[in-house]
Amino acid sequence: MTRYALRSMASHKLRTALTAIAIVLGTAMMAGTFVITDQIRNAFSDIFGTSFAGTDVYLSRRPAFGNGTGGAQVGPLPASLIGRVRAIDGVSKADGQIQAIGSLVVHGKYLSSQGGAPNLVVSTLPKPFNENTLVDGHYPNGPNQVALIQQTADDHDLKVGQHVGLTTLQGVKPVTIVGVFQFGDVSSIGGSTIIATTFSDAQRWYDRVGKTSTISVDGEPGISPAALKRRIGAQLPHWVKVQTGTEAAKEQTDEISGAINSFFTPALLAFAGAAVLVGAFVIFNTFSITVAQRMREFAMLRTIGAMRRQVLSTVLGEALMVGVMASVIGILAGVGFAKLLGALFKAIGFGLPLAGISVHAWPGVIVPLAVGVLVTLAASFAPARRATRVPPIAALREGAVLPRTWLSRFTPYIAGLALLAGILLVFQGVTGSGPTTQRLLTIAGGAILSFIGLAMVSRYLIRPLARAIGWPLSIGRGASGRLARENTTRNTGRTAVTAAALMIGIGLVVFFSVLINGFKQSFIGSIDESITSNLIIQSHSQGNPVPEDAVRAAQGVPGVDTALGVAFTQVKIGHGGTDAANGIDPATLPRLYKFQWQKGGSDALLGRLHGDDALVEEQFAKSHHLAPGDTFQVTSIDGRHVTMHEIGQYKDPVLFSGFMVSRGTYSELTTDHNPQVLLVRYASGTDENATTRAVRQALKPFPDVNVQTNSEFKDSFSKQINQLLYLLYILLAMSVVISLFGIVNTLALSVFERTREIGMLRAIGTTRFQLRQTILYESVITAIIGGILGIVIGVVLAWVVSLGFRSSGIVFAIPYGQVIVSLIVAAIAGAVAAAFPARRAARLNVLEALQYE
Amino acid sequence: MGVIEARDVTRRYGEGGAAVDALRGISLDVAAGQFAAVMGPSGSGKSTLMHILAGLDRPTSGTVAIDGTEITGLNDKQLTLLRRHNIGFVFQFFNLLPTLTAEENILLPLQIAGSKPEHEWVESVIERVGLGDRRRHRPAELSGGQQQRVAIARALVSRPTVIFADEPTGNLDSATGAEILAVLREAVDTYQQTTVMVTHDAGAAAIADRALFLADGLIVRDAPCKDAGDIMAILADLSAR
Ligand SMILES: Nc1ncnc2c1ncn2[C@@H]1O[C@H](COP(=O)(O)OP(=O)(O)O)[C@@H](O)[C@H]1O
Ligand SMILES: [Mg+2]
Repeated sequence: MTRYALRSMASHKLRTALTAIAIVLGTAMMAGTFVITDQIRNAFSDIFGTSFAGTDVYLSRRPAFGNGTGGAQVGPLPASLIGRVRAIDGVSKADGQIQAIGSLVVHGKYLSSQGGAPNLVVSTLPKPFNENTLVDGHYPNGPNQVALIQQTADDHDLKVGQHVGLTTLQGVKPVTIVGVFQFGDVSSIGGSTIIATTFSDAQRWYDRVGKTSTISVDGEPGISPAALKRRIGAQLPHWVKVQTGTEAAKEQTDEISGAINSFFTPALLAFAGAAVLVGAFVIFNTFSITVAQRMREFAMLRTIGAMRRQVLSTVLGEALMVGVMASVIGILAGVGFAKLLGALFKAIGFGLPLAGISVHAWPGVIVPLAVGVLVTLAASFAPARRATRVPPIAALREGAVLPRTWLSRFTPYIAGLALLAGILLVFQGVTGSGPTTQRLLTIAGGAILSFIGLAMVSRYLIRPLARAIGWPLSIGRGASGRLARENTTRNTGRTAVTAAALMIGIGLVVFFSVLINGFKQSFIGSIDESITSNLIIQSHSQGNPVPEDAVRAAQGVPGVDTALGVAFTQVKIGHGGTDAANGIDPATLPRLYKFQWQKGGSDALLGRLHGDDALVEEQFAKSHHLAPGDTFQVTSIDGRHVTMHEIGQYKDPVLFSGFMVSRGTYSELTTDHNPQVLLVRYASGTDENATTRAVRQALKPFPDVNVQTNSEFKDSFSKQINQLLYLLYILLAMSVVISLFGIVNTLALSVFERTREIGMLRAIGTTRFQLRQTILYESVITAIIGGILGIVIGVVLAWVVSLGFRSSGIVFAIPYGQVIVSLIVAAIAGAVAAAFPARRAARLNVLEALQYE
Repeated sequence: MGVIEARDVTRRYGEGGAAVDALRGISLDVAAGQFAAVMGPSGSGKSTLMHILAGLDRPTSGTVAIDGTEITGLNDKQLTLLRRHNIGFVFQFFNLLPTLTAEENILLPLQIAGSKPEHEWVESVIERVGLGDRRRHRPAELSGGQQQRVAIARALVSRPTVIFADEPTGNLDSATGAEILAVLREAVDTYQQTTVMVTHDAGAAAIADRALFLADGLIVRDAPCKDAGDIMAILADLSAR
């Protein structure tokens, strides 16, 4: 029987190829995900390995919460610790290092990193801690000297001896480039700019006088890093985290790996999973059609004595071989897909360092192989079972139909139930409690179930939908439209599954468009409603504060009524999770921000905000069971405990979630009191454009500060969100492409099945053009059905999910433009898919077609 | 002068040693309103001749004119339009579209041509073939005889110059076959419809006005039809030689 299955595949090369593609693309995405995440992990492991190669023991501030080292957020150590460590027996050398954010200003232009990577400033460490390799010049050894990583120097054509500027918390400092270095032996770390200064310059410029970010320690010969670590740890307070260099490298690598494993990999695999699901539909459909077409053949096998089991294994054998072949090709193609993803991330400003490509058996090969083969087998199982039910008598009779099973009576009910259950599961996953992973899995499972349910239900919707969609084609003269419409309803099950494959891709596109549009509208809506400033100013570098000096500079511009810095940071609430603490100036905030007061809140109350008083956001109050007058405990990242006292509530889950305190109190909760956002409002009656120009001029000394009017800010926010959306679209494009092959396959098989009919149509005067048109229309109608179903399920699922986010202020808003575009895309996909089968049909020889059996 | 004029038509399949001469020089004329039957043993070239006369195939040499138009030089598009406007077909296996009702199948040629059906004409054709009460049924709900009636109506509806019928009774039992032949005959008489029917059944040929006998790609006899016995006699005579 194996040989028989092989023959069958070989004699239907095209069908086999089209079926295989459905699985190739999905497994390629899976394999590619494993390849690229492995590349990222390895790259970071290399980076941290290099960083700590010469360090025996590493000291940093122990964060009070969170598992991370948290970067600059954690806060510095007192520089006096360096001396204390040096005095410890067994320490040969100990030096501090400052890590900050900043970049060069060349000819007035701020040099950004590539693809959203960070702009780093670090103070130079001496040997043996310094693992960099000098390419040119020397490391900074005097004031106002900097050295650059080679990539930054190359990209901007910077040379040793050149005078440039460096952004600091005190504005732009004039510096001279004295050296160019490589990190270990590589010229770049994922596109980051890296500027090295002296320790004392960095202390002065980045608000670290008398402090150090970290301390690197080298031990005397003969003492192991572990022993030295114990010895140092015993003599220092508990808030100093003491690690061996190896431990520090491992911790930082693990932190990145954790982020990759918990977010990046599952997210990419989800898209691969969608592609595989679409592939399963295509395979199910192809096998269903071919089993129907080969009924005579199976009956013949039965008449000559083949067992049902043997018929089953013929079909499953073919599926197995298709699955294995496709998965193997997919895994090879995965390397290409990984490269594509890397380029894509870089293009949308999400640049990541990538190590060389390496493919591991687990999970990179085994998982895609297993999924590819199992999905192919599972999808072909039902058609294979049908094949076994072909009675031997069908060999002798034309047009024999398979007996219906008792189960098929219940299909519509089962389908409807699956659809409902799927939607409910999604709702349950969104609103339920429990670990995030489990909830996400529930959502994914619910989505899959609802897709399958709708695919099954859609069989009963094909007739009315095809009639409605085909209506414009059938009016006027011309038979093509009418024939196409009839053809789509000829085998509703087949059309339904073909359309359903496209439905999944379009459904997910619409789902994400609606959700993300809701998020965008909520944010922009909140700004429109509540923010009454003229300018919204932030740093170009993500997460970098706006220097307090810049706030003062803006305030000094004539025409500016209020320049208000808003600061926020994460703090731990009681013994639970973290939330935002917002530092505001109660006297000026109402001039820039319209409060929506809740329980006990009022503008008058704002005036009394001082000391340990806090205004809390409604949701924050709810989740921590707070009422005005209650107190709550917060812990800052550097371990300070403060008891806050709620005096009232406001509502704004989008812009000011968490709670608000005065800037004075805020400085108790943070290690960096500089604001993240600067809001500027003009005095009434001033010329807006002129004032904006004046503010820009006044902030020239802070080139990393991005001065935007409110509408510019909203635009750039939308742009960023749209880029995320485009990335999702590209990832979902694979699913749409697979369903396109599904349409090609179904049409090609239908054309083959209707050969004689096509011959008749041609004989009685149908032109080739008309025939092509008929198939084109059939394809477009099917695709539009898929598009409509996708839009419906996408909107419904997005609505269900948005219910779960309502408390966070996320609204449900359908982006009609995008929805219409997705329908047009579906129609175009249908037209593209028709090209090949239509050409095939048109080229049929009339006489041969007429005589075809 | 006939509506069909064929001159020295040959048709060769394949090349070299394996070549088969299906038609070896056939000339014939069919006059307007005539009902001609083409007879002959299996493999004598009946179908090949019909396909060439209907513009479905091209002769290796020779010419064919339909209604005065030389068709052997036409391209695919022109041939398609010729078939659309001048030719009707009735096939052995009916070849109806399963998704369309009887009436829709009948109107299909007009639809394809994009021309508006004349209500009275369509009614008269449906009446003529005896499908009045079955017009809303789909092929699967019709008997073989009824399906062939639909096919005949479909061939008639565009008022073609010629109808070609290839073994129209070949897939029917003899009683139903006789009914179908009667319908064809009636249509020819009522509408003066020129018709060429390929058959190897003497009984079928007997209802035609004229019978052409083919053997090995040549016309070996061309005689008016009297009755089935007469035709049987001719067949016997031919096979004896
Ligand atoms: N497509 C073809 N290729 C090769 N030979 C053919 C083809 N069609 C018909 N023939 C041959 O031409 C001859 C005439 O065939 P045909 O016209 O079908 O005869 P009939 O319809 O009288 O049975 C036969 O010998 C047949 O084998
Ligand atoms: Mg024949």
